[in-house]
Amino acid sequence: MFKKFSSEDVSSQNQVKASVQRKIRQSIAEEYPGLEPVLDDLLPKKAPLIVAKCQNHLNLVLVNSVPLFFNIRDGPYMPTLRLLHQYPDIMKKLQVDRGAIKFVLAGANIMCPGLTSPGGALDDEVEAETPVAIMAEGKQHALAIGFTKMSAKDMAINKGIGVDNMHYLNDGLWKMERLE
Amino acid sequence: MAEKPQAVKVLYCPICSLPAEYCEFGPDFEKCKPWLINNAPDLYPHLLKEADERDASKVSEQLQSVGISSAADVAASSSQPGDASSSKQEEVKRLPGGKIKKKEKQEVVIEKVVRNRRKCITIMKGLDLFGIKLSDASKKLGKKFATGASVVKGPTEKEQIDVQGDIAYDIVEFITETWPAVPETAIFFIEDGKKVPAA
Repeated sequence: MFKKFSSEDVSSQNQVKASVQRKIRQSIAEEYPGLEPVLDDLLPKKAPLIVAKCQNHLNLVLVNSVPLFFNIRDGPYMPTLRLLHQYPDIMKKLQVDRGAIKFVLAGANIMCPGLTSPGGALDDEVEAETPVAIMAEGKQHALAIGFTKMSAKDMAINKGIGVDNMHYLNDGLWKMERLE
Repeated sequence: MAEKPQAVKVLYCPICSLPAEYCEFGPDFEKCKPWLINNAPDLYPHLLKEADERDASKVSEQLQSVGISSAADVAASSSQPGDASSSKQEEVKRLPGGKIKKKEKQEVVIEKVVRNRRKCITIMKGLDLFGIKLSDASKKLGKKFATGASVVKGPTEKEQIDVQGDIAYDIVEFITETWPAVPETAIFFIEDGKKVPAA
């Protein structure tokens, strides 16, 4: 989704009101309970939280010019991969097999066979429409962040797109470590 | 609940900006290899072996060539592998610098193109290789020769300056006077093949 993304795609950057900031913090805390103790370090209450609005109804949450979370159209907030690498356990993980790695790194969505074949792993509790971390077979760090299209149980049976690839390594958002 | 989760420090490759284990999927694994061997040897153990093998074969080659040939040949062959390795190192050094310059020889090429039967255009290519701003250059040219000059984009990224009229033989002097960075030897005319400068 961030295949082509640069600072020119950002239409506006605004510092948000404290009430909005509280709402964002709350929704992030709900979505990622594992992040709660560290939430104060990542999103301090006193620090100005900036939301950058970009094309395709995309909002980026920035703290100190560093993008931390993003969401589309008031959907759930998803962390950037850099943040996920630092705190890997906040999201459920789905693993794809080796052959899929280079396609995912080119922005492809993840098909069910990639998760069900030997080399792939499914976490049975995962529901549809949730953000998940995509790991790769044999690698320690997350490869991408996706949004499930169907629940894990459905993925085991079906073929077709299982997880939408939202953000992957070396995409536009990964390359943008800071946004002025 | 668990303690405060500590931030995990991830080793990112400075060349492809990916976590070290993903370098093989990055844009240029070859460039990452030397860095990987130094900083993350445990991720790619076969790389270490490869590098060792390569060095071992090079050393054995050198030994062989030194042993077989005579004194005169020794000088030549020992310089050859030396050259090969140093040029390889040079290549390796150049590319990570960011810009992959494909051996751009610094030269200015001047060409004359006929526009109507009487009128022609003088095209100058290669001024920007000397660090000259083309927009300033074209203004100066136009003023000096009292004619129109413009910067035109060629079919590739290369840009050239078009000056109306035939100013070929004044141009060499003008260039060398205004921009002393350009030596006369670097200016070429096109007359069915490049010619040495000063007409």
